[in-house]
Amino acid sequence: MTQILPSHIEMKSIKIENYTAAFGESFTLNNINWTLEPNQHWVITGANGSGKSALSAILAGAGHKVSGSISGLPQHIEIVSFEAQAELIERELKKDDADIMDVISEGTPVREILEEGKALYPEFDSALLDQLVAMFKLEPMLDRSFRKLSTGETRKIMLIRALANNPDLIILDEPFDGLDTASMQLLQSLLKSKIDSIAMVLVLNRFDEIPDFITHIAYTDHGKLQHSVDINNKQAYDDLYQLLHLKTTELSVPATDLSDRPPSLNPKDPLVRLKNIKVAYGDATIIDGLDWTIEAGQHWQLSGPNGSGKTCLLNLITGDHPQCYTNDIFVFGMQRGHGETIWQIKQYIGYVSTALQWEYRVSISLRNVILSGFHDSIGVYTKSTDKQKAVADQWLALLGMKDRANEPYNQLSFGDQRLLLIARAMVKHPTLLILDEPCLGLDDINRQLVLALIEKICTSGDTTVLYVNHHAEDQISGITQFKQLEKLDAQSS
Amino acid sequence: MSNNYFNTLPLREQLAQLAKCRFMSMDEFSDGVEALKGKKIVVIGCGAQGLNQGLNLRDSGLDVSYTLRAAAIAEKRQSWKNATENGFVVGTYEELIPTADVVLNLTPDKQHTPVVNEVMPLMKKGACLSYSHGFNIVEEGMKIREDLTVIMVAPKCPGSEVRAEYVRGFGVPTLIAVHEDNDPKGEGLALAKAYAVGTGGHKAGVLMSSFIAEVKSDLMGEQTILCGMLQTGSLLCFDKMVEEGIDSGYASKLIQYGWETITEALKYGGVTNMLDRLSNPAKIKAFDLAEELKEIMRPLYNKHQDDIIDGTFSRVMMEDWANDDKNLLGWRAETAETAFEKTPAGDVEISEQEFFDNGILMVAMVKAGVELAFETMTAAGIIAESAYYESLHETPLIANTIARKKLYEMNATISDTAEYGCYLYNHACLPLLADFMKGIKTDVIGKGLDTTDTGVDNARLIEVNAALRSHPVEAIGAVLRGHMADMKKIV
Ligand SMILES: NC(=O)c1ccc[n+]([C@@H]2O[C@H](COP(=O)([O-])OP(=O)(O)OC[C@H]3O[C@@H](n4cnc5c(N)ncnc54)[C@H](OP(=O)(O)O)[C@@H]3O)[C@@H](O)[C@H]2O)c1
Repeated sequence: MTQILPSHIEMKSIKIENYTAAFGESFTLNNINWTLEPNQHWVITGANGSGKSALSAILAGAGHKVSGSISGLPQHIEIVSFEAQAELIERELKKDDADIMDVISEGTPVREILEEGKALYPEFDSALLDQLVAMFKLEPMLDRSFRKLSTGETRKIMLIRALANNPDLIILDEPFDGLDTASMQLLQSLLKSKIDSIAMVLVLNRFDEIPDFITHIAYTDHGKLQHSVDINNKQAYDDLYQLLHLKTTELSVPATDLSDRPPSLNPKDPLVRLKNIKVAYGDATIIDGLDWTIEAGQHWQLSGPNGSGKTCLLNLITGDHPQCYTNDIFVFGMQRGHGETIWQIKQYIGYVSTALQWEYRVSISLRNVILSGFHDSIGVYTKSTDKQKAVADQWLALLGMKDRANEPYNQLSFGDQRLLLIARAMVKHPTLLILDEPCLGLDDINRQLVLALIEKICTSGDTTVLYVNHHAEDQISGITQFKQLEKLDAQSS
Repeated sequence: MSNNYFNTLPLREQLAQLAKCRFMSMDEFSDGVEALKGKKIVVIGCGAQGLNQGLNLRDSGLDVSYTLRAAAIAEKRQSWKNATENGFVVGTYEELIPTADVVLNLTPDKQHTPVVNEVMPLMKKGACLSYSHGFNIVEEGMKIREDLTVIMVAPKCPGSEVRAEYVRGFGVPTLIAVHEDNDPKGEGLALAKAYAVGTGGHKAGVLMSSFIAEVKSDLMGEQTILCGMLQTGSLLCFDKMVEEGIDSGYASKLIQYGWETITEALKYGGVTNMLDRLSNPAKIKAFDLAEELKEIMRPLYNKHQDDIIDGTFSRVMMEDWANDDKNLLGWRAETAETAFEKTPAGDVEISEQEFFDNGILMVAMVKAGVELAFETMTAAGIIAESAYYESLHETPLIANTIARKKLYEMNATISDTAEYGCYLYNHACLPLLADFMKGIKTDVIGKGLDTTDTGVDNARLIEVNAALRSHPVEAIGAVLRGHMADMKKIV
């Protein structure tokens, strides 16, 4: 029989003692001693691969216990993380009938995903669900297929679902990444309103995102819980901040293989010219009447709220959106729909996005992931030159992964995978480098590394950068052009 | 009425056509899509193959549009949505067919005769008509206007994979063929090669075959090992477990997800690898069971192959088509009523290894079915490469649909031709295995071998391992899988 705990006021302390747990072959959390008292709300932080996500996830039962004990865990725990998101997406993909023989299915509607907990948890909070859906303005999505949502939207759905399930303890791994500033503030205030009934553990990369109701910070390093800090202890807090901002070494962008460049472009042409762009699905118009020209050497920052069509716009440029054939698009000397292949277009482009990371599910070596950037493929199907291999190794060295060239990519942490995909995008010194929220999921140190790299690329001359980002703080000095997209009214057609 | 094309050929020619199959080398595709450049490609039907092939061809720089039957356009059916939302021009037959240089017929096979009869008079003189399966030409004896070129480009994967692999920069294994009676300008092969490049198939390997070899092997594979064996095996294993007192929810789950798990091992390393996943005593057990099954079922496999080759199978099936699918629908309804189908998978955890350990009989059934189908096809004159793709290669795909949808939906999802053959097989195979099943206990299905006794006779183990590895399906499988794996770790 399920016993309902009225609120965590009556919760016990959670005690993790001498706990060691294995995550896959290559990662272990070592000898963790950690106590979470009732009325405490924690942030866990640390570098990519340091074990911060793993530490949060052991509360939800992840990892293979080697020794030690955990006691006092409440009954109902919810976790929202990249892994959980990937799992749900994977589950939905698996359901996809299109994968089998004949049928093209629409997938599960968002509403059904949101309400899965209704039947499972007596404490399910329908009113909160409605409130959250309204707050994030997601009503128009409810009947859409979950699979068709953007990454940011999926993330919001996961958050709403976890909160509406009304657990005793909620674990949120990077809840604010991928949210625009407005959504992030909304979410922070909402979390704050629930702190009396839900204990919170947040995994965060950025100190500036720590909400004011947080009482304690845990810092992980190399699979250990290195520091536990009371937020009111100013000195300890500042030290921790410093630790996370360790100075990075001098960076330089590796040269590329010049023997294998795409045909050169007419310098008088813009790289990209979009005219009167229209994109619609059924009756929903996403982009209407947009014009945009990107000249060579003109670096752009593109921003806009979730759902304003940023990714859609990028996909029109890269050729990954089918409606690129019904619009007036000129890219790299080619008017779209006149016999060019998508591979002719992709050879000028380097590209990083979270969607790419979801799709990049192959068990190949780290070196091959970088090499695939020369061929614009997911996986490697073409022979690479010795020069290309040498360049790939320089990138590995830059990322501090020199000795790991032959390790399998799919066993890396999320942040390390991201770094590798950024190297993959940059490896050929593309004419246009498209970075769609490249820092999503990265810790402060790696974020600075990436931003510094982008700045270097911006000044290096042969690559034009198109940078998409929510975070106003992550500005890049070389970028002078800004484009802002707005969400269209879903009704108009 | 229809006239079986294969049966009109002299024996020598029949054998020559069946044996036609050659693995093409990459440099045969150096002309890329040139032969189709600037030509107008019109696809009939926008379903699984139609949509995904069209997306690839367009992304390869080709001019693609869709023609749908008038009702599909008027009612804005899913096929219309598929085409328009992806930015394709859609028109009626009258609007688009007369402008087409190449017409891709990607409607369901059952509809081919009426569809082709309707579009053929509208086709430009000297144009090309293409299929992704040769049933209409071979089994229904469809006669195509003499001025038209007729080719086949058949991806050996579901449509969604055709697209997904292309987007990654790769492709899926593809079979191409030219209908020699319809190659007036001698350009059939060039067109088929360009089409295969346009879909990305050339990167994953192309078999140059014949309409006849494609049809006779495709039919054989789908009705025996792929759908028939898995259906029969599911029903027998489930009933046996329940009879032996195993929890029905557990039994249901072991079967529904078991096929997928064990054939995943098959996909990566063939029959050998699938059996290597078992403990030594279990491996020997599975081997012996499979030998027994092969002996009992061999006449059935021979009969299926004979009926396919001489046209009996398609004649009987087409009689049922003409009779409003009476048999097909009746059998489909029967499937829904089976105990396995009606018992939902239980809420129990089954680890990956447990599917092997407790499913020894299932492993034996897959082994027996794959090997029998392969042996029967090659004995009938079908070349090993073709026989491999139509047996072992596709088994995990069907296992996958059973994992997601069990039998009823699996049958509704596969083509009507596969489904019809599956029921024929199932009805013959259930009584055939009745005696054999009497001797089956939970040690080979449901509970696994008693683990206290792990000793094996070394000599026997060596014998079994050698037999496994020397089967011809393993030799060709290693080559063809190696080809794909090479591509993936070429650097
Ligand atoms: N599926 C596979 O795995 C696979 C693999 C290799 C080859 N093939 C071959 O590819 C071909 C197409 O198969 P598929 O699986 O893609 O079929 P499908 O998904 O069922 O699609 C069939 C399409 O044809 C249209 N259609 C149905 N009846 C029609 C009629 N009487 N007249 C005109 N259009 C009609 C349907 O649209 P409306 O009903 O809306 O008109 C639909 O768009 C077949 O020859 C098949 O053997 C399939």
